[in-house]
Amino acid sequence: MIESLRATCRRLLETGTAQVVIGYGQADPGKAVHPVFIRRPEDADQLTWNDQCYPNLVAYLKRKEVQSLGKAAIVVKGCDERGLIVLERESQIDRGSLYVIGIVCGGVGNPKLDKCKSCGAHRPRFANEILGESSLLQDGVGQKWQALEEFLTKSPSQRMAYWQNEFSRCLKCYACRQVCPMCYCERCLVDKNRPTCIDTSPTLKGNFAWHITRAFHLAGRCIGCDECTRVCPVGIDLRLLNQSLAKAAEEQFGYRAGMDPQAEPLIGSYSLQDKDGFIG
Amino acid sequence: MSEVISASALRELMRDWLRQGKQVFGPRQVKPGLVLYTRLTDPEQLLVSGFIHPSNSPKEFVFPRHEVIYSYRFEGKDLQLLDAPDSFPEQIVLAVRPCDAAALPILDKLFNWDFQDEFYNRRRQATTVVTLACLSHDDSCFCTSVGLGPADPRGSDAMLLPAQDDEFEVRPFTEKGEASFSGVTRTSSKQAGTPSGPAKKFDAGQVRTYLSENFEGPIWHDETLHCLGCGACAYTCPTCHCFDIVDEGNAAGGIRAKNWDSCQFPIFSLHASGHNPRSTQPQRQRQRLTHKFQIYPEKFGDILCTGCGNCTRNCPVNLGVLNVLEAMKNGQPL
Repeated sequence: MIESLRATCRRLLETGTAQVVIGYGQADPGKAVHPVFIRRPEDADQLTWNDQCYPNLVAYLKRKEVQSLGKAAIVVKGCDERGLIVLERESQIDRGSLYVIGIVCGGVGNPKLDKCKSCGAHRPRFANEILGESSLLQDGVGQKWQALEEFLTKSPSQRMAYWQNEFSRCLKCYACRQVCPMCYCERCLVDKNRPTCIDTSPTLKGNFAWHITRAFHLAGRCIGCDECTRVCPVGIDLRLLNQSLAKAAEEQFGYRAGMDPQAEPLIGSYSLQDKDGFIG
Repeated sequence: MSEVISASALRELMRDWLRQGKQVFGPRQVKPGLVLYTRLTDPEQLLVSGFIHPSNSPKEFVFPRHEVIYSYRFEGKDLQLLDAPDSFPEQIVLAVRPCDAAALPILDKLFNWDFQDEFYNRRRQATTVVTLACLSHDDSCFCTSVGLGPADPRGSDAMLLPAQDDEFEVRPFTEKGEASFSGVTRTSSKQAGTPSGPAKKFDAGQVRTYLSENFEGPIWHDETLHCLGCGACAYTCPTCHCFDIVDEGNAAGGIRAKNWDSCQFPIFSLHASGHNPRSTQPQRQRQRLTHKFQIYPEKFGDILCTGCGNCTRNCPVNLGVLNVLEAMKNGQPL
């Protein structure tokens, strides 16, 4: 599999289909896996694939420094690929000029991350080329809201106490925002200071404002890659906030972000058939 | 011969400190897989083994991530200015790693350079630092490469060295350290062994030379393009100390506060004109490394890094100081 990935990379760079291949690399076996930007066919051997390939590389596509490298090919897992679909529907990328190498993924992490246990997209669906075996994990779609549903058995006051405790640790390092493929604003609302919209202070008030605002900006857009939760240095389970809105989008509008490349974006569309029972 | 304290006596001592109204901070298992330095309210919360390094640093107990400098209130047409509290309770930072303690004398220089930061200094004076020597290390640790080690005394008022039979050898280095353990240790014929640190991974002097010669070198683009520009490294680093001054409030009043900031954020260096002298992420990574290994040593004589490894452990994409320095080594014989 790794050999065919490297061969694909070489071919794309040699033929000029892509000027940069965004993938995962590893200096030596046993060393940490990190994102790499391959620009010369002879460097293709830096590419790797294993269960430590956590980052969602789609987050790089909107970065100036990466865009300046030219036409890109990108390695995606099935879950990451959902981000490409949302970006395309939001007119953020030109899918036609992007070459997508999809990797059939049996889940990342050891033990597997929670998102992998309930993954419904082990096999990328819309990639230009799909690599890897098809021996898949069983789709565990039925359990995808398990963490949220367990959380919702708590009383409102217990939930408030939980979030106060979690957000009291937030350092406002913005790792959650920086890894998110959907957080592509050139200047985030929280970085605007003429005037300031959201307190930048990492106080309980400022942290609530930040996380709730971010969750709402991801409503109907979050693809559930859980990168924000994985990278938080103080262990805040942001997935619960995102799932809460993703579940509402699915139940109220039958919409799952990044699953159907034809579907109109939930926030960007309106239908007379939309349910309105949740208003008032 | 050595002075020792048992783990249970250490917890009893901590209980006494809490009873006396002292604030105690130390490592705590916050949730499965996550150890953080936090305020401790019960001796049972204190973790003294089973971890390499907490995910954060104890700098926030002397340099909080948010600190009100003053507040103001509008009353009719009058403006009332209110000073922030400037006296701080006595506090003990317990079982911190030697790399974290070593960061404090480094920060002392910065906060007393052209301006004496009274908030920092008062907190610092009220603080006793008790370190816990390291018996183990992981791939991210590199204290020995920046002139420190698993039992280095810099910044410690007293050090605990894990010994046999659930005991710690107590080594006081200052009067504060002596006072903290006075009368609670017993003399033992045994001595704790000298722990061994990680193998030396680079030469800091050569790094400094490399940095001075490679400001425009290809390494920055080649090795740091995958930096996503978050502040997870800086905010969990024991030595990073940049801050922002913000005003927050409403029509009734507000505060002026000092908040942590990071050179990895694009807006950190953004000018009001719209120009950004560090407009790309590799330039911002270069700034971070150069500040730590060239600028700060030139100005203050200390490397602005204690080798704790948190930047590597906490990086979403496995980029840390160590990875870049190792890449330098591969490019040239360091």
